[in-house]
Amino acid sequence: MRNWIPPVLLMLLALALLEIVSFLNWVPAFLLPPPHVLLSSFIELKADLLPAAWQSFYCAFIGFILSAFFGFFLALTLSMSAFLSQGLHPFVVFFQTVPIVAIAPLMVVWFGFGVPTTVASSLIVSFFPVLANSLAGFNSCPKELLELFKIYKASKIKILFYLKIPSAAPFYFASLKVSAGLAVVGTIVGEFVGGGGLGSLIDAAMRQQRADIVFLCAILASGIGLFMISVVGVFEQLMNKWRPLS
Amino acid sequence: MNLLVSILILAMQLQAAAQSGDKVKLALNWKPECEFGGFYAAQVEGEFSKQNLQVQILEGGSGSPTVQMLATNQVEFAITSAEEIIMAHDRGATKVKALFAIFQTTPLGILTRAERNFSSLKEALQSEGTILWELGLPWVEYVSKLYSPIKVKSAPYKGGVGLFLKDPKVMQQGFIFSEPLLAEAGKVPTKVFNIADTGFNPYTAVLAVNTDYARKNPDIVKRMLKATQAGWRLYLDQPEKTNRYMAELNKAIPFELHQQMAQRQRPLVETAFTKTHGLGVMTTERWQALVDQLLEIKSIKAKPKIQDLFENPTRDEMKPKS
Repeated sequence: MRNWIPPVLLMLLALALLEIVSFLNWVPAFLLPPPHVLLSSFIELKADLLPAAWQSFYCAFIGFILSAFFGFFLALTLSMSAFLSQGLHPFVVFFQTVPIVAIAPLMVVWFGFGVPTTVASSLIVSFFPVLANSLAGFNSCPKELLELFKIYKASKIKILFYLKIPSAAPFYFASLKVSAGLAVVGTIVGEFVGGGGLGSLIDAAMRQQRADIVFLCAILASGIGLFMISVVGVFEQLMNKWRPLS
Repeated sequence: MNLLVSILILAMQLQAAAQSGDKVKLALNWKPECEFGGFYAAQVEGEFSKQNLQVQILEGGSGSPTVQMLATNQVEFAITSAEEIIMAHDRGATKVKALFAIFQTTPLGILTRAERNFSSLKEALQSEGTILWELGLPWVEYVSKLYSPIKVKSAPYKGGVGLFLKDPKVMQQGFIFSEPLLAEAGKVPTKVFNIADTGFNPYTAVLAVNTDYARKNPDIVKRMLKATQAGWRLYLDQPEKTNRYMAELNKAIPFELHQQMAQRQRPLVETAFTKTHGLGVMTTERWQALVDQLLEIKSIKAKPKIQDLFENPTRDEMKPKS
């Protein structure tokens, strides 16, 4: 309970400051809407905001799950073969460096409007941290423990399940927390071009000069990211109770 | 020819560096195209210089927030639309006023494939397929309401005609003098429906000013308007030199296409009204009609004062000389 007090207090202070800034007109309300305007806009528009948030959450979640799955298994494959690891390295770097804003319009041509493009965008943006961290985790298992397993003639499957995966687990969970946030970013960018969700609402709101709707969508998108990161944290704690990761 | 244009650009840059004059910034809301031809003509043909102005034309792009740039004093002049000015006033950004309307008839239209042979926009919007348009824009809201319920699926429009060329069931928004030409260059004949025919006919592109700046510098505003009107006159009569210049600035559109677009946009800029009253002149009736339409579609919450939205400050001076 005590852990929640500092962030809540800081948030209340920030909200109060924003109200003062708006009241004194230091920043015009059409650029930075004060909290009370955001609240009344949310109440007025929740019938549009909440379904859009649900769609964005759905796409971000699917993209994140795909990243978590494919990132892990590709990292595992690469950790078992130096040849594959070196051969696929340039393509892996592509996922890190590709400017998603530039290729998003192409994805509409490839995947069509709506959910397919949004999920693809979410996957591309959130994939690399899982792959990179998981691979680092697999390559980080202590050499002396590996030799001990070999001395006891442990099979490759046993080495994988009793040594490599537990060694990689802390790295993997850390990457999932980063990937969860990036999945939301990729989703919003995908929705700018593919339509639907909070991204589409942000796009329309900017044209209507509704800064309040833009901020509300940003807050909801952050909320989705925070929720997904929290779920990863809970899952990590459960795993730790069942089988300590360190 | 490219060498000549390059020399022209260099000469203009040297001239700009050498000349004195009042410095102002003009922010565009898109890339150099014929809809801004009059301003580039004023630059190329020296009309800004004649009025002792050093005008820096800032290129825009998708979603350029020109109204916000004006309202926050980042630029002195900008191209925006009448709807954006009305919405800005409704949101509290009241320091923006229109001075000159580029188009008397809105160039907005919806492109469909000629092969689908729609007899009306209503039929097109109630057909199968997808329409690419900018959701949230007042004209989109107006047309959607007018022909409600629309059956066609809505999707974001991000510029160009790529998806329109690829998929026969796609229709899209565009300017009636440009996107159809791009589609025809891609060997796809089009049938275009003008938004003006629906009764929604705003001043789609206007030169606007920050009102604080205008109050402090009325003479600069007057001179800017004179140069703008002269530039548009030159562009309407002899667009070639300006189109060569714009083709260098915007290499996505070749010179020949600029020429064709300029020709097609002409009847939207120069009408019977402008021949009597002068290029760029606006009327209270048109602004009032737009305000009523925006209220109807709930884009704004209250009626603004029309006199706060626009003015024709030098109406007598801007009438064509007989």
